[in-house]
Amino acid sequence: MHARLQGWVLPVAILVIGAIVAYGLPIALSNQTYLLRLATSLALLVTLASAWNLVGGFTGYPSFATAAFFGLGAYASAVMQQFGWSALTGYATAAICAALLSAPFGFAILRLKGHYFAIASLMLVSILKEVTTGWSNVTGGGMGINLPGAGGDPLAIARISLEILVMLAAFSVALSLVISRGWLGFGLSCIRMNETAALSAGIDAPRLKTIAFTISSAICGVAGAAYAGWIGYIDPSDVYDVMWSVRPIIAALIGGVGTVFGPVVGSLIYLVFEELMWRNLLTFGTGALGVLIAILVLVMPGGVLPSLRKGKVS
Amino acid sequence: MDRRSFLAGSAAAVAASGFANAQGADEIRIGAPLPLTGPLAPEGRKQKRGYDLWAAEVMKRGGIEVGDKKRPVRIIYSDYQSATPRGVQACEFLANQEKVHFLFSPFGSGAAKAGSAIAERYKIPMLAATASSREVYDQGFKYLFGTFTPNETLTDPIADLVVATAPAVKKVAIFSRNDLLPLSLATALREGVKRHKLDLVFDEKFAIGALDFAAPLTQMRAAAADWIFVGGYINDLIQVRTQMRELGLKPQVLTMIAGPAYEEYIQALKGAAENVSSASWWHPAVRYEGEDIFGSTQNYVEAFKAAFNGDIPDYAEASASAVGAILQLALKKSGTTDGPAVRDALAAMNAKTFWGPVHFGPTGQIDSLNPPVFQIQNGKTVVLLPDEIKQGEFKLGIS
Amino acid sequence: MNSAILAQVLVNGLLLGGLYAAIAAGFSLVWGVLNVVNMLHGSAVVLGAYAAFFGWQLGINPFLAALAIGPAIGLLGWVVQRFIVQRVIAAPVLITLVLTFALDLVLNNAMLAAFTADYRKMGSVTGLPPLMIGTVSIPADRLIAAVLGIVATFLVHLYLTRSRLGRAIVAVRMDQETARLMGVKVEHIYALTFGIGLALAGVAGCLIGAVFPISPLNSGGYLGVAFVACVLGGLGSVVGAIVGGLVLGVVESLGSMLIGAEYGVTVAAVLLILMLLWRPQGLLGRAGYD
Repeated sequence: MHARLQGWVLPVAILVIGAIVAYGLPIALSNQTYLLRLATSLALLVTLASAWNLVGGFTGYPSFATAAFFGLGAYASAVMQQFGWSALTGYATAAICAALLSAPFGFAILRLKGHYFAIASLMLVSILKEVTTGWSNVTGGGMGINLPGAGGDPLAIARISLEILVMLAAFSVALSLVISRGWLGFGLSCIRMNETAALSAGIDAPRLKTIAFTISSAICGVAGAAYAGWIGYIDPSDVYDVMWSVRPIIAALIGGVGTVFGPVVGSLIYLVFEELMWRNLLTFGTGALGVLIAILVLVMPGGVLPSLRKGKVS
Repeated sequence: MDRRSFLAGSAAAVAASGFANAQGADEIRIGAPLPLTGPLAPEGRKQKRGYDLWAAEVMKRGGIEVGDKKRPVRIIYSDYQSATPRGVQACEFLANQEKVHFLFSPFGSGAAKAGSAIAERYKIPMLAATASSREVYDQGFKYLFGTFTPNETLTDPIADLVVATAPAVKKVAIFSRNDLLPLSLATALREGVKRHKLDLVFDEKFAIGALDFAAPLTQMRAAAADWIFVGGYINDLIQVRTQMRELGLKPQVLTMIAGPAYEEYIQALKGAAENVSSASWWHPAVRYEGEDIFGSTQNYVEAFKAAFNGDIPDYAEASASAVGAILQLALKKSGTTDGPAVRDALAAMNAKTFWGPVHFGPTGQIDSLNPPVFQIQNGKTVVLLPDEIKQGEFKLGIS
Repeated sequence: MNSAILAQVLVNGLLLGGLYAAIAAGFSLVWGVLNVVNMLHGSAVVLGAYAAFFGWQLGINPFLAALAIGPAIGLLGWVVQRFIVQRVIAAPVLITLVLTFALDLVLNNAMLAAFTADYRKMGSVTGLPPLMIGTVSIPADRLIAAVLGIVATFLVHLYLTRSRLGRAIVAVRMDQETARLMGVKVEHIYALTFGIGLALAGVAGCLIGAVFPISPLNSGGYLGVAFVACVLGGLGSVVGAIVGGLVLGVVESLGSMLIGAEYGVTVAAVLLILMLLWRPQGLLGRAGYD
């Protein structure tokens, strides 16, 4: 009883901290929309990295499908809003669409391992991108979608976007924590360490993997919807950009794959670097980022947090 | 030349971002987010040339007349690396941090549409030099103005011309890149085809970045189209034309937008470009007199050649210079840099410029121009329409 | 769809397929032997194409230039593997994927900075008119490029099966531990294989440059081709790459006709996923690494 109560304290604390940050940060930063934008980007990356971590970290399946569900969520929400539905309906639709697609798709490709799984997950991004572009009656095709309300008060939009994304990030991390401590997390880590042994121990690996994949994808979908509302305009080459799959992975790698707070730390470090690169190295920004990532992978493949907590099993 | 001016532009952007407070309280600051790196860099560079030429011309004359003073102008560039969300953020950054008075829109219809929301939010007039699709202007915004006429003004005249001069042409093939502008053009042409009761035998899109067109061209050949229309960007069009030759397609009429307006197209294709017809929003061969800083089309072309090593301006470059010249006229009229006042001056404008007569419709898109239709004959561009500036007759037959 | 159109569509597909085979073979070799998915591959193809393009500006025929450009890029590959990739060769899939992805960012960005995104085109290399068989048109340059693509791939196959080093590579692919016990220096084999893989990419690039417009923007597309053709044909099998490439070319061509030209990538991607689910070892391969 005492232990169970304790188990809920930290996740709830995370949510509370999230709420404080969400509502307090805009006031602290007042009119600095640039800083608000950075903070919102950070929250978005934390959300995606944390969600990815469920599949890539806890379960050990290197998924590149993040961009697919991110884009799907963005479009689901944008299309609904274009037809006059509220933003809230947009978010709900995003989560539902992502879940409906990810469950069967995940179930199918989670049978694959290693590179094969990675490639199959990556292919989904290309497929969704092309299909979205082709289905122009609904999605506007290459023209993209301008979300209603894009021309409104800039400060209000910045503030609301920050609040939504920070809460989403807090939710993602708290959920990650709850899962890691529960039966799902236990099952996933068994699968990660030795799937065959886990199966013979009676763990329903296919079911658990699919659950993790679906939860992860749903979160990415909602993040996409939030992104669409924030920027006000989406098109296939933006939201289905493979970098949306890669950035969360890098963030998790930096901070520590498989740890709960690794994605948070890693996202912060990564964004600082990316912003520095973009501001100062115009032509070679992406290349410099590549060098950085390569160095990171070579020098510290475990990530920052595990290196700090030597001896703890990730 | 390009790299130098590009580096200068980047240096300016980096330097500018370090100085949040205006250096001269006097100067008129114009934000110009452009794709200076990445896939759209060639287009971004063209725009920059146009803007720089105008700004240089202004500074040569001592500044822009606003009220009773001549004020210097400073264009603050920001490279958004061909990624539209970055372009939107760049607009916001320019409006909010750099406190620009005016915005030149990011390149292309999609980015212009997205960026116009920022202009509307901050009540900063935004001039779009390269946004032609009606969809860009359909959000009811008041602060967006564009110098490209809607897409059907490109396709209707040529459809009328083909039907008038070649009544035997009945079967039409439309092939367009799956991208905002080409799709809009295709839609406009479809209407034209319906209007003239022609037979649409092939109507397909190709993916952005597609390099091989053998399969759709094979289908076009099988459908025996007399008039093939292809919408895309210059490298798509060059590749399609090349493969058409390889596969033996020889229609009566071949219309391509927007490659043939560029010298590079003719250079790359040599003889294969013969008799390809096209239309664009402007062409250096047109002849207009204007009350703007350049004075006339001919003067503009000369000024451009002098500044850029003898290069002849294309419509994108000219449009960029035009938005500067138009803004200048509006500032002179309104006598202030106040956003809403300049916006009203733009909305009420009825001026003659080197670009052509300028009047903006209720959505902010220009509605006073007749874009030229032209054809490549003997390796040169010959203007066919409008009649006032006609230089030759339409020729049939593609080899 | 009558037989004349079908014939043309098939020919188009096979011509594409020959080039695809050349792209896929190097990629397949590296994946099969090192168990590394080389995300650099597409950019290496583009690099080869640029080299051939600049050679062409100097009057050098790209088909001949391939003989020099291939090995040059192969050397680059050898260096990259020996000094960078080798360090993480035993690491989990995620690490090697991210590393080669990062290296690709560097190479691609470097090319973008050096050459800009403007498309370059060589124009007609041979200047010959298309070969006509009935109503079917076979462009000369494409035919030569496709044939050379298959020849280059086949030469590598011969090397693998006939030469000592080649056989060592195959041995490492089949069973790394035993090969090591038999005295094979596995690290050297890895570097050599990676070099061969990238050399083939460079050669493929020269051939592609002769036929298609060139830009760093296309590297992702070529990587995608490598993936699909490789999975279709079977990991590590060079002959499989030829089969995979040809099949992919034909499927793309047919797919464009039946579903529409704008769904090319979708068709290939769906094909890949189905193949992975049904027969991951490919049409010709043995069950590869997990």
